[in-house]
Amino acid sequence: MARRRGPATASALLALLAVAGCGLGPGQGLDAVTLTVTHEYGRQQILEREVGDVTESDTVMRVLEGAAEIGTKEGGRFVKSIDGAESVSRDGRYFDWLFYVNGVESNVGAAAFPLRGGEAIWWDYRDWTSALHVPAVVGSWPQPFTSGYEGSHHPVVVECLGGGSACTEVRERLAGAGVEVADGSPSGAIRVLVGPWAMVRRDPAAAQLEGGVEQSGVFAEFGGALPPLRLEGLDEAGAVARRFGVNAGLVAATRRYEAPPTWLVTGATPAGVRAAAGLLSTAKLRDHYAVAIEDGKETPLPVPGR
Amino acid sequence: MRSPFAYTPRRGPLQSASPAAAVAYLGALVVVAFLYSSPLVLIGAGAAAVLAGLLAGARSAVRAGLRMGLSLALLIVAINALVVSRGETVLARLGEWPLLGQVDVTAEAIAAGASIGLRAAVVMVVASVYSACVDPDRVLRALRPLAGRSALTATLVSRLVPVAAADATRLRDAAQLRGPGAAAGGWSPLLRRLLAGSFDRSVDVAATLELRGYALEQPRRRRSRRPAAAAARRARSAEPRSRFDARFYALAAAILIAAIAGKALGADDVHTYPTIHVALGPAAVALSTLLIASGLAPLRRPPARRRTLAPSALSSDMYEKGTATAGREAAALALRGPASAPLPEAPGA
Repeated sequence: MARRRGPATASALLALLAVAGCGLGPGQGLDAVTLTVTHEYGRQQILEREVGDVTESDTVMRVLEGAAEIGTKEGGRFVKSIDGAESVSRDGRYFDWLFYVNGVESNVGAAAFPLRGGEAIWWDYRDWTSALHVPAVVGSWPQPFTSGYEGSHHPVVVECLGGGSACTEVRERLAGAGVEVADGSPSGAIRVLVGPWAMVRRDPAAAQLEGGVEQSGVFAEFGGALPPLRLEGLDEAGAVARRFGVNAGLVAATRRYEAPPTWLVTGATPAGVRAAAGLLSTAKLRDHYAVAIEDGKETPLPVPGR
Repeated sequence: MRSPFAYTPRRGPLQSASPAAAVAYLGALVVVAFLYSSPLVLIGAGAAAVLAGLLAGARSAVRAGLRMGLSLALLIVAINALVVSRGETVLARLGEWPLLGQVDVTAEAIAAGASIGLRAAVVMVVASVYSACVDPDRVLRALRPLAGRSALTATLVSRLVPVAAADATRLRDAAQLRGPGAAAGGWSPLLRRLLAGSFDRSVDVAATLELRGYALEQPRRRRSRRPAAAAARRARSAEPRSRFDARFYALAAAILIAAIAGKALGADDVHTYPTIHVALGPAAVALSTLLIASGLAPLRRPPARRRTLAPSALSSDMYEKGTATAGREAAALALRGPASAPLPEAPGA
């Protein structure tokens, strides 16, 4: 009787493994992914590569390891160094490697992040002492609008909060990038809020900017004693490093708890909002956490500290 | 039943050499195992340890060490393959596992595990040879001037652990003799009994040590007015040197120098992530050959003529092996007669 149990148990185990999505070999091929490695909030690009031979078994870690010299920790689950730049603590400041997939911060290690194909992976070596949690960035435009985030596709909606012509421009730019903008307010949508800050700030996700960089992950805020408020650019330490004029615009991304990311296309005035809408392009947003614009000149955020 | 790792007095060069020389030689092999990841060099070091053990007559210890070492290596390979998902060559996707997350078995993780496992196996075989061929009493005697209390603790452990193992064997035998109808005893009562017995024995040992004056402070030694006499006393109490010492010291030095030179010459050009790369260059081959050859160190030079058991030869061997074992050997040899064959391996050794 005992002899008959062996093959039956083995068959059951194999069937269970097959159902669980297991298999031999690396699995099926997927769409190419782009890999970007930068230092200091994207100011210095170290590597940019399109990785074509991606398979079902690939993870963010495996793609990185195939393209760069890396050191790992905790049994290969987390990245300790890339091309010699290692996680360190210097003069009370902490520097580490953090990564974004489709512009959204990961809540798992690189080795546990599976790929679905077509993702934009961005590794950045930065000082995280003041802002460990930067939940979303704009530097992977047109992601996450084209492929979604965390392995699933999400609808995209543009919420026009007094943005006027800027709303139309935002919709056009999204459509130009191949994004289908949904109507209404579907659940789980990635939102783009377009309008002057006085209107946009009423949204709970956008209002996080008033709690500082620790809360929103955006190195910008609107301040000033008298209206209209002025856009202020923060440095890596979260201190005000630059005060922009009243017609400055801002493009930034944030996320409230586990909700989908929210992009802000805003400014203190309608002119600022229109200027911000004009920033929605790969050339102007690439490898930046957030971008401010004043008099046609872009300023990546955070503003470099003195 | 005697443990295969227990020290057995023999007349081989490794057993006769002073503990420092034997430790230097075997330690050099361990250093190589920790320095290198190259499978060729690790296999060379392992082969040297096996060869040395066999030539020293520690066949059982080598066999047990190999069995344990290779089992441990297999375990390390399996764990590494499941825990580490690094590497580009995915062999199998095992899905999501509790605690481990997504498990992908890669050729690189298996190779990395094999390298670590091989290293562990080499260390285990070397440790087995050391345990079976180097007299622990002589080692402790050599250590006593440096760390008296530690030497005493180590002495007690080295005595009490084998006694506890023998107790366990006796208790298991007794349980089996209760017959097939008796209920199974299980591990838990056996361990309880062993623990209780160990405590009883430790109290007895502590009382004996106290009675022998170990609790008292060590008497302060007065500086001798006659330095020559003090030096003579130190020389008498020092570990006697063996004619084999030079051989083992020279080999240890040669192994270490070759290992360092090999590192500089790229004999360890091995990495397992993201893809497996093992360079088997001339430096690695040469170092591996040297290591295997070093395993012949315990080889005894064949006698030019048939050896007679003259009292002088016997006393020379006694001097090398220590007075504790010489008495027993002298009696055994006297009973066997002068024309008898060499001593067979001790049962269970």
